[in-house]
Amino acid sequence: MELELRINGVIKSLDVAPNELLLNVLRREGYYSVKHGCDHGHCGACTVLIDGLPRPSCVMLAMQAAGATVTTVEGLGSLHRLHPLQETFIDAGAVHCGFCTPGMLLSAYALLQRNPNPSEEEIREALAGNLCRCTGYNRLVQAVQRAAALLRGEDIEPISIPDSGGRTRSWDLGRASLEPYEQTGTGVQRVQVMMGQPERQIDAIKLVTGKPAFADDCDLPGLLHARLLTSPHAHAIIREIDTTEARALPGVHAVLTYKDIPRIPSTSAGQPWPEPGPHDQYSLDHTVRYVGDRVAVVAAETADIAEQALKLIKVDYEPLPAVFDPRQALEPGAPRLHPEPESYGIYDANRNIASHVHFEQGDVERAFASAELIVEGEYVLPQSQHAALENHVAITYWDEDDRLVVRTSSEVPYHVRRIVAALTGLAPRRIRVIAPRVGGGFGGKHDLIVEDLCALLTLATDRPVRLEYSRVDEFRSSRVVPSQIIRLKTGLRRDGTIIANQMLVLVNAGAYGGQAASVSAGSGLNSLPLYPCPNLRYSAQAVYTNLPPAGAFRSNGALAGLFALESHMDEIARRLGMDPLALRRKNWLKEGEPLPFLSQAQARYESPIPQAGLASPYSAEVRLAHCGLPRCLQVVEEQLNWREKRRQGQSGPAQSGRIQRGVGIALAMHLPTSAQSLLSSATLKLNEDGSFNLLISLPENGNGSHTILAQIAAEVLGVRPEDILIHLPDTDSTPFDTSSDPSSSLYACVHAVRQAAEQVRQQLLSVAARLLKVPAESLSLADYQISAPGGKSLSLSQVALQALYGEQPTPISATSSWNAACNAPTFAAQGVEVEVDTATGATRVLKVVSAIDGGHIVNPVLAEGQIEGGIAQGLSYSLCEEMVYDQQGNLLTTDLNDYRIFSARDMPETSIVLMEGDGSDPFDIRDIGEIAIAAVAPALANAVADALGVRLRQLPLTPERILHALYVVRQQAARPA
Amino acid sequence: MIPGPFDYQVASSVAEAIALLDQHGADAKVLAGGHSLIPLLRFRLASPAVLVDINRLRDLEYMQEADGTLHIGALTREVDLEASDLIRRRYPILADTARVIADPVVRNWATIGGNLAHADPANDHPATMLALGAQLVATGPTGQRLIPIEQFFTDSSFETTLQPNELLTEIRIPAPAERSGGAYLKLERKVGDYAIAGVAAYVVLDGAGHVTYAGIGLTNVGPTPIKARAAEQLLRGSTLDDAVIAQAARQAAAEAQPVSDLRGPADYKRAMVETLTMRALRQARSRATGGA
Ligand SMILES: Cc1cc2nc3c(=O)[nH]c(=O)nc-3n(C[C@H](O)[C@H](O)[C@H](O)COP(=O)(O)OP(=O)(O)OC[C@H]3O[C@@H](n4cnc5c(N)ncnc54)[C@H](O)[C@@H]3O)c2cc1C
Ligand code: FES
Ligand code: FES
Repeated sequence: MELELRINGVIKSLDVAPNELLLNVLRREGYYSVKHGCDHGHCGACTVLIDGLPRPSCVMLAMQAAGATVTTVEGLGSLHRLHPLQETFIDAGAVHCGFCTPGMLLSAYALLQRNPNPSEEEIREALAGNLCRCTGYNRLVQAVQRAAALLRGEDIEPISIPDSGGRTRSWDLGRASLEPYEQTGTGVQRVQVMMGQPERQIDAIKLVTGKPAFADDCDLPGLLHARLLTSPHAHAIIREIDTTEARALPGVHAVLTYKDIPRIPSTSAGQPWPEPGPHDQYSLDHTVRYVGDRVAVVAAETADIAEQALKLIKVDYEPLPAVFDPRQALEPGAPRLHPEPESYGIYDANRNIASHVHFEQGDVERAFASAELIVEGEYVLPQSQHAALENHVAITYWDEDDRLVVRTSSEVPYHVRRIVAALTGLAPRRIRVIAPRVGGGFGGKHDLIVEDLCALLTLATDRPVRLEYSRVDEFRSSRVVPSQIIRLKTGLRRDGTIIANQMLVLVNAGAYGGQAASVSAGSGLNSLPLYPCPNLRYSAQAVYTNLPPAGAFRSNGALAGLFALESHMDEIARRLGMDPLALRRKNWLKEGEPLPFLSQAQARYESPIPQAGLASPYSAEVRLAHCGLPRCLQVVEEQLNWREKRRQGQSGPAQSGRIQRGVGIALAMHLPTSAQSLLSSATLKLNEDGSFNLLISLPENGNGSHTILAQIAAEVLGVRPEDILIHLPDTDSTPFDTSSDPSSSLYACVHAVRQAAEQVRQQLLSVAARLLKVPAESLSLADYQISAPGGKSLSLSQVALQALYGEQPTPISATSSWNAACNAPTFAAQGVEVEVDTATGATRVLKVVSAIDGGHIVNPVLAEGQIEGGIAQGLSYSLCEEMVYDQQGNLLTTDLNDYRIFSARDMPETSIVLMEGDGSDPFDIRDIGEIAIAAVAPALANAVADALGVRLRQLPLTPERILHALYVVRQQAARPA
Repeated sequence: MIPGPFDYQVASSVAEAIALLDQHGADAKVLAGGHSLIPLLRFRLASPAVLVDINRLRDLEYMQEADGTLHIGALTREVDLEASDLIRRRYPILADTARVIADPVVRNWATIGGNLAHADPANDHPATMLALGAQLVATGPTGQRLIPIEQFFTDSSFETTLQPNELLTEIRIPAPAERSGGAYLKLERKVGDYAIAGVAAYVVLDGAGHVTYAGIGLTNVGPTPIKARAAEQLLRGSTLDDAVIAQAARQAAAEAQPVSDLRGPADYKRAMVETLTMRALRQARSRATGGA
């Protein structure tokens, strides 16, 4: 049908089918700002304005737009003329990964059109249909308030440093090639000191203007669309699979099953080689091990044809007994997930144990025997999901040199290349992996979910192929944050001294164990060392079940470990009749003490893979140089008004009434991954205009790492961060990176960039020294110029031209790398105030206070944004997120309606305090978003316990669980003694 | 997934819409806000041969009081209900209901007619309409007929007594009597979510404070929207004191038919019906006697 589309002020005549959705038509027409995040109108990423009103274009037929005006973010403003909302979004640090940004901007725009002076509540309501997984929404609200003020003609103080206009600055070759000049002191723009400054995110403009920044934002001639056939059984053997009819369907170019590809044991976990986890996966296999497991994949002219072809594939399954509970999976006679002899690296396939971690020091049993009090508790964490707004997607194609290009939303580009090479049989030289901006990862994009199949389809068809997950696929067939059962046993003296501590963890690894080893180590490593005591035991088993596999996750297990440990500490305090903070202060880690486990981790972190997992960088005992816990706790205690509030809670005189309030505090510490090798590299080169290209392979997923790296390079090189042009990860051009956890990666990359910048600076100075005929040591570099003591100066542009084209041509560039781990932990204290409705169990979080001590803060606006995002995720996990299955292992929570994540309306007030370690190393820079999520859950559980006097040991804290716990307590109280 | 193929027709008048429905019978589906229907089409849970888009029927977007009745056009959008001064002032229970549906993006387009015609027990309007004793106007080839709301929903989810060739065109609600009041309360896991349970209560009192009309509707605690008839019966003639309210709330809970699902276990939901009914009745009483 013909559709006359009035879009962003132009009229387009399009041919669309009646059943085409507006979302698909807009993206096909190149309006890439309109994003696909779900399929139900739940997420708001696809929001457009229809006659000025926001509407999800995924639940609207394209034909319905006939006669209406459509507005997308492309029509809102451009690089040269940003709309005030686009300005304030950047200024307030409200753009993280940027995937939700276009939809968010449009909803905000529509609000301000009809209400120039909205209240905070009205803004939250207006943004409620747009989910964001990265920010904590409060910055978005602030940005909208500020844009409203601007539009009303009011002045506002910028939050971040205003744009210098550097991106569009003109360049005059004539002027640039002039002789050295005398510095007059005028006309030279002063460069601010960038480190520690709230620079604007260097890559935010493309996001607020809706430029094609993400993996799926491109089109290729002849592109085929792939869809995946997944298993309806939790455990089965594929007896027969017939693809004849599917292949015969017009428009179908390839159907692949296990019969069509080599059977190579591997792991989807994008970790350094050799990956420590089990190699128990096959791109396609004759056995399926969970509902949603891969069965076949189809490439066709359209996604719709591919979808139809899936229905024509005939599969004869022989169902096998399945097991979903890790405790049952361990029992003798339980169904075995991986009896196949080809898989390797499994800790104990006969008992379904994917991996096993054990750390021990002292004599735990003897200490328990001599303890005056023993407190035990079991804590349960649900299976949940990263739920980044951008789904997994890859596009693969042959380039003009017959090399396979993999364009993917991945946080581990070099691992993608290595693993795709292994699975396709292509040598790495024939593969190029490009990782554009990641639309949110949180660990979920540390696994290869679509890349191998997409590549195999390009091999099979010689055509470009796109494999994009739907939201349902995401829930059913990607990676999960595993459920864990954590048992704690603590032996104490009456005065509250912990003399022995034991944590036993059972991780539900799901069907494949790739990330199981690191998950198992993380829960203990990132919690137990908070309270070192002579007798410690940590033992974790990751157990196979017929559920989706565990993936990596933000905070690397700390969330789980700390929920257990920090809830348990409050329980111990209650049993001792002691103040929970006093108990913590008595037992916590102190400066100068050795970090427990780190030296032993090496000895006992066993992986059956030769050479893997053993390379703990902590070969010697590590003593803690600086501990931020006391200051963090003090700040949170004060800001939460703990003493006063606590007296009003259950621990004080019991509250009556329907609504009861409470406060809770928990501590956290985070150690960068200790069990993986680490290497990060950076290349910097000078351009003729005094700008620099920075080539790194650390993907930008919205945590602001690229801005931080640009700030560091800019600082060393005397330019503005926007003159550091970052090349996105591309294995053909950007240097190697092991892409470890975000903290370790950023730390290593910071040092690689700093070193490269220092080398480039030396090169610049020596060229200038030659030109100015003075010793290099006498020169200074600042504000785009190199100045000699007498007042003679050269601009960077002049130096560049002379270096590249002058007498002794020489490139100004350097590559540098870094492989030493950061061994200073990050510390945090978090406090929560809640209000619980005792008749419904509904919980409202009133306030969250976080104090974080995490190394040097390069950019406070970005840092606070990361922390607020961590808090939002932490609350969302603690209160509403849980993946639920039926008895057959079918997932019930398959969309963002049933799997609920926080929206703007759910988010409470936050207060964030940043501390910067002992300040001894200005380049001790880490991803503090990791720890921000970690202690939210126990602080919340402690607050609920304070409000109600009941302890919940299972997340999420749903209303019915709270009410049930209350009921049980009341029953017990009513029972005659 | 994209919807299966269908023929797309835009109706430019009610008559044309009905003619199309009459022509295609059960093969046709009405498209209003599309927020419920298009996801069904995308997941191939519905595959009509013809889609009749009624969004151009602006004459079905209205709210007006006449002859002691509030008339609401079936295509009235939630956002307009929520913003309407008339509704806020005279029918706060309706404003309560519109306000808690999803989020503003959904409410911009979702229609009250679609919300009822979809007959989803999780939707919020059915309970309110049951409490208010609304009447629905169905327009077909032979003219209009009035369907009392309690005869609109069948015993099955997602099913109504509308004929395939009928369009829901109007919702009629008795204008508020002197001492009347109602409230809709919804318990959610997260703001804007479908209800764990929702309760609509509406009462009319006589001069002596006795209940002359009581309506109670329940959301998402059964296969269909539920009218708590026995609870209503308990209230009628009473003075609506706390004891009677508590008794009616217990009765409403007994009339609920919840099942355990992602929004909670059945016994929890039943308990919540009791709690919410109690609260809704108290608020209705307060509104009926001049409070907020
Ligand atoms: C993310 C999201 C969250 C939601 N949350 C809630 C919520 O919390 N509470 C709630 O109540 N609802 C909720 N809804 C549902 C929303 O209110 C729907 O839009 C509504 O149920 C259907 O209205 P519609 O106008 O979109 O109808 P459509 O989707 O267009 O139609 C729905 C059905 O009704 C039929 N129909 C529509 N109009 C007529 C008519 N005039 N005559 C005859 N048949 C007709 C259609 O043929 C179709 O079968 C939510 C929807 C979404 C997308
Ligand atoms: S709301 Fe349309 S893609 Fe999520
Ligand atoms: S910035 Fe909102 S989803 Fe990433």
